Amino acid sequence: MNGATVALIVRIELRAWRNRLVKDRSSRLAMLAAFLVLGAIVIGGTFFGLADGASQFLPYLREPMLVGAFSALSILMLVVGFPTVIANFFVGTDLMQLVLAPVRPIEIFIGRALLAARANLLLGFVTAMFVLGTGAGAGAPPLFYLIAFAFVVLQVLMVTALQTLLLCLVLQWVPARLARDVSVAVASISGALIYVAWQLTLRQTLGRRPNVSGLVEFARRIDWLPTAWPGHALSSVLDGAVITSLLWLSLTLLLAVVLIGAAAYFYSRTLLTGLGQFAGTSALWRRRAGKPRRVASEGTESPDVAIARKDWITYRRDVRRLSRLLPAVIFMFGYAVFFNRPAGGAIGSFWNNMFLIAFVSMFISMAVATSAVPSERRGFQLLRMAPITMTQLLRAKVLFSMLPIVGLVAAISVGVAILGRNNPADVLQLTVMALWLGFGFVAIGVSVGAIDPRFDALDDRRMVGPLGTLVGVGAELGFGALTLLAFTVVHVAIQVYAGHPVFGDVTIPVGVGIALVAGALILAAAGVAVVFVLLRIAASKLEGFEASIAST
Amino acid sequence: MSSQGATAVEARGLLKRYGVVVAVNGVSFRVDRGEIFGFLGANGAGKTTTLRMLCGLVRPTQGQALIDGFDIFAKPMEAKARLGYLDEEPFVHPHLTGPEFIDYVADLYRMPRGRERQQRMDRLLELFELSSRSAELIGTYSHGMRQKIGLASLLIREPSVLLLDEPTNGLDPRSARLVKDLLEELASRGTAVLLSTHILEVAQALCRRIAIMDHGVIVATGTMDELRAKAGSAQATLEDLFLRLTAGPESKALIDQLLS
Repeated sequence: MNGATVALIVRIELRAWRNRLVKDRSSRLAMLAAFLVLGAIVIGGTFFGLADGASQFLPYLREPMLVGAFSALSILMLVVGFPTVIANFFVGTDLMQLVLAPVRPIEIFIGRALLAARANLLLGFVTAMFVLGTGAGAGAPPLFYLIAFAFVVLQVLMVTALQTLLLCLVLQWVPARLARDVSVAVASISGALIYVAWQLTLRQTLGRRPNVSGLVEFARRIDWLPTAWPGHALSSVLDGAVITSLLWLSLTLLLAVVLIGAAAYFYSRTLLTGLGQFAGTSALWRRRAGKPRRVASEGTESPDVAIARKDWITYRRDVRRLSRLLPAVIFMFGYAVFFNRPAGGAIGSFWNNMFLIAFVSMFISMAVATSAVPSERRGFQLLRMAPITMTQLLRAKVLFSMLPIVGLVAAISVGVAILGRNNPADVLQLTVMALWLGFGFVAIGVSVGAIDPRFDALDDRRMVGPLGTLVGVGAELGFGALTLLAFTVVHVAIQVYAGHPVFGDVTIPVGVGIALVAGALILAAAGVAVVFVLLRIAASKLEGFEASIAST
Repeated sequence: MSSQGATAVEARGLLKRYGVVVAVNGVSFRVDRGEIFGFLGANGAGKTTTLRMLCGLVRPTQGQALIDGFDIFAKPMEAKARLGYLDEEPFVHPHLTGPEFIDYVADLYRMPRGRERQQRMDRLLELFELSSRSAELIGTYSHGMRQKIGLASLLIREPSVLLLDEPTNGLDPRSARLVKDLLEELASRGTAVLLSTHILEVAQALCRRIAIMDHGVIVATGTMDELRAKAGSAQATLEDLFLRLTAGPESKALIDQLLS
């Protein structure tokens, strides 16, 4: 193996990365650096402080915290990291060039493994801050910090190696065209299931205090998992148990050597196969050859219907998008179960369900509707050249996304309302709210996808840029808050009108009730205005869209 | 508006600036009905940007693009309905079959559904030898087949103006010949064709007039005879004219230097 070659691979990639960040202004790099430092201080400081405090005042939590931090890092990497691993190890014209050049596969593996680790900088940094904070709270010796930092880097490399190894194995067993999507789906679904199971174990419900005994219990249950070993090693360092810490340390290092070695070996053997199979631009179901349908002779020639029909056909044929939708649905159902527990204290079952509906419709619309416009990819240029307005396009997209999402949300709402033993009037109210919120959130989701689209992104989760994401989160929170507030005010007004005491024993005059209804209508109108303003901005952004066509 | 006039495409002082870079600098020309107009230029000369301004994908910093007398940005619906643009990498949906894609495009342009449309689609698929692949997804097609399905999606609706960016790129000789014959036939029936190509033989054989672009400006426009007269060489081929008008460093000297 030639170290200079590895260094060259890394250096060139870092140069390309820097050029992408800087673009045509070197001041961009300084601004980004300042932003990163600020972000690091805020995010890192928060995690460091939380861990430091918990470790100081709850010493029995130190080991579960360390075990949990390393396990969380591994799980999150498994859930979100597969596309990165595929992109780094099996895709790209630059990789093709390396394969053509006199470079050994092992050198490519090491170079690419280091680059893949770059994608986990944020996760690694947060984990490192949490682990270091735990050490600081326990008054750890300097050696702890050194080992902790090395362990975080090692854990990132180990999980990357594990993912590469899995991909190599998938390449052997799964039909070529489905290999990429099968691996992404398996990883995402298992990650999502582990995460939901973890959440359920913690038993932290709305309106209740977090139950840390769940965390301790969970940490005990995953003791045997290799993801927990670095946590045990560091915990032993804190306890001053030299032999035990050396044992865990050796086990971790041994596992790292085995995993990275095996990944390097199998990668060398499957690199060429992987290049052929993963480098494809789209995943397609195998279609049986048969007589084509007579498509043009019936139906209506409406562009709106044509867009919706095309979206429906392409969505169900795009294995990649479907495979990514599945974990989102698992998350959603997991959360529905997680939040939908018999609530005690101040929050009644009706309001518990109301928050659940708001959350579920927001979650699913962000997961599905935001990609409605960017998923057009190069086909978007076809729409721009067609004699249709962008308002028409947005209308088609909102209507197409709304039907399945609002249907799903309404079904969940009715389900939880009935399970929560709500009376028929409450079930009706919850259903109306589900429809209202579903429509609003879908329209917002489609709009933010149009405001900041990434037509070149292959992954649905990366189809909206940071500006769009920020605008989307803000608008959804605004619309949701205004709607729920209006709904609450209407409920108060009904109580007032019925002459029931509202706040304690205070009875409010009926005239105030009428004013409250007017106020609720204004709040609801403000919510609607948020949606329409966003749709208007989205249409205007799409009309003026002029990004590089080559990138779409 | 002059939808009855002879001019089908008109570029009026088109200028496109990206920051400090001027990609296209005051380009003006006209393409008449029934004419095949060649658009030549070296890589990066500004041909594709000009075509994209004409079809409404890129907004010019200055100037106007008219299709059948309609400004593509002021009257987009009217202009777009008359226009067909084929990019060098066609804008297709990989998860649709060929017929589904053509059908989708026809709907976007509100072409009435029915037997006539179906028959036209069948004939186009047959013409481009895609009938046997009708049940397959476009994502599985080769580049040449994608090019053909892109062309078929334009021709299903008979636009009066065609803007084609390297339409024979990636086509086998038989299909390339088919496209050339088709363009001549369409032009004879009154369709205006603006053809951007690097294949000078194709341009010389098909185009009545030719514009040559270099560094964002048109350096010459006219028939072959007019271009020869401008270059002062009565026997020059289009390749000679092109190289003379877009003069770069002497390649012979550079090659000698490299290989010595």
